[in-house]
Amino acid sequence: MQDTYSYLAFLGIALFNLLVFPGGLFALSLGVLFKGLDRKIEARLQRRVGPPIIQPVIDIVKLSGKEAMVPETAQRPLFQSAPLLGFIGMAVCAALLPIPGVSHGLPYMGDMLVYFYLIQLPAVALMIAGSSSSSPFGTLGFSREMTLMFAYEIPLLMVILAVAMKVGGDHFAEFSLMNIITYQEENGQFITNWVMLPAFFAYLFFLPGTMGVPPFDIPEAETEIVEGPLLEYSGASLALFQLTSALKNIVVLGFGVVIFFPMTLGDNIFVNILWFAFKCFVLMLVSCTFVKSATGRFRIEQAFGFYLKIPALLAAISLILVWFEY
Amino acid sequence: MSFLNNLATKSPWLFRINAGSCNGCDVELATTAFIPRFDVERLGCKYCGSPRHADIVLITGPLTIKIKDQVLKVWNEIPEPKVTVAVGICPISGGVFRQGHSIEGPLDKYLPVDVNIPGCPPRPQAIMEGILIAKEIWLKRIEEAERKGVRRVELP
Amino acid sequence: MFKFLKVLVRNILQGPATEAFPLKPAPTPDRFRGRVTINPDLCVGCGICRHVCTAGAINITPSDDKKGYHYTVWYNSCCLCSSCRYYCPTNAISIVNDWHTSHVQGDKFKMAEHHYIPYVACEGCGAPIRVLPAHIAAKIYVNSPIDVSKIIRLCPSCRQIATAERQGELHESKPE
Repeated sequence: MQDTYSYLAFLGIALFNLLVFPGGLFALSLGVLFKGLDRKIEARLQRRVGPPIIQPVIDIVKLSGKEAMVPETAQRPLFQSAPLLGFIGMAVCAALLPIPGVSHGLPYMGDMLVYFYLIQLPAVALMIAGSSSSSPFGTLGFSREMTLMFAYEIPLLMVILAVAMKVGGDHFAEFSLMNIITYQEENGQFITNWVMLPAFFAYLFFLPGTMGVPPFDIPEAETEIVEGPLLEYSGASLALFQLTSALKNIVVLGFGVVIFFPMTLGDNIFVNILWFAFKCFVLMLVSCTFVKSATGRFRIEQAFGFYLKIPALLAAISLILVWFEY
Repeated sequence: MSFLNNLATKSPWLFRINAGSCNGCDVELATTAFIPRFDVERLGCKYCGSPRHADIVLITGPLTIKIKDQVLKVWNEIPEPKVTVAVGICPISGGVFRQGHSIEGPLDKYLPVDVNIPGCPPRPQAIMEGILIAKEIWLKRIEEAERKGVRRVELP
Repeated sequence: MFKFLKVLVRNILQGPATEAFPLKPAPTPDRFRGRVTINPDLCVGCGICRHVCTAGAINITPSDDKKGYHYTVWYNSCCLCSSCRYYCPTNAISIVNDWHTSHVQGDKFKMAEHHYIPYVACEGCGAPIRVLPAHIAAKIYVNSPIDVSKIIRLCPSCRQIATAERQGELHESKPE
């Protein structure tokens, strides 16, 4: 009997985490708000007025009312389930996200390795979308997305390893996000630690790649390959892709906040939520908005070379420094 | 529902088709999007690369014989409800190319055009004015489709 | 390398450079070519504008009762090259800076400048003519002692005769 109750309670908490906070509603609204702010600030940086901040919401409302077309030659089941795959992956990811001082995320279910796999799901969904749409542009986008993913996975993996080894200490690596937060609360944040600083910069370079913003928006290049994998999508499926992208922004930004600067401000829950959102916002400004509004687009081999040279090198420096510390 | 419809028309995504234009009108279209002085994005507009995402179609050029079938094909790929805008005098009447040997004649012989923006090329502000007119037509069309329950409009 | 940061900061500080166009009227230069207008009082119906019009936007048709002509400029075909303004001998055509010509498809054929320009009868013979604009007459008879206000309402042949007669009178009355 006891077991049943605790099981039900766990299920309730899990559902709450998945649907309301920190995943689901909270992450979605924050992500959409960030997208609006991003567009507004980018416009201001280019001396334009820019769209209203709720523009992404308007876009999504409009898209869900449009006619959804499926090409006759497309692989229908794959084509229609691809946006769902990415969205579910990101929803789970957001539910697992611990917010320092507020919530633990789904307890004992997520660690950095789970994250490492789940963060790639939207990219995989884009690949499936591109390859199943039977459009030559979609296929091109598929190959570019895959190349780019291989490129930015390497620095991400090395960053994760460096953090894990730093926290784990002498004998083993620690992958639990909650333990990483506790370690930093005791020993100071990693962003103030010169050993971890190169890894932080590597993570900064990883962010625009995974968010698909210039100069790394190569798979969805509008002017070259007419939005690549998204070419054949319209209506509600496209809206789902936009929601996925908004969620992904929150997930990767929140992940960066958790592993590099999770310090809290006192014990008040609301203050901590706002502080977390603010830190995510600053991270987005630095890594995404500023870069996006001032750069063009790399070619795919340039992006591949860039990721293998600078961010991978920085992450490797961090990894070696951590190795020699013990 | 009318509130949602009203909200939806605040995000008109633009798609442009070059039906054999001399590129003058296309330059003006690019100007509306990328020059801070005009900034069509603050009306919620966005130039999208794919016809599937579009709401308002801007067609430039006098519809040459070679491009006619492709223009009709791309136009059919755009999901309903959509609004067609003819930019420049060429698609409206043929302009300086009227009765030329390679011109298939004004656009409204083949497509239901909704808004015309004359000019050679039209001013960016005139294009924005045309987009605002197109937005009203789009709202009417959404509400009409909702009343009738129709999702797709057949070609004339 | 970090020059772009300087540009970004400057852009933020300077604020947006966007015109408030849909809310407020947009600034328009005086010489901007928006649409063609014609002054029906000055038009003499010579047809040079129709001849030079690149896009064939100008149409001049005699009315059914032959007592005037219809003059039409269709904005939807006019390419604003301003050839008509350049060649118009009487400066009847001008191009104003009103560019608000976007319209819905129903108004396509209403977007035109249309005038019915009637002929007047020649004071000498009664043939249907257009009155010679006073400033053109002043230009033609610039060094001549002829009073132009008397001859502008005559048809060309009557005017020729009237001018010759007047010249003769002047010649005779002049003391040698």
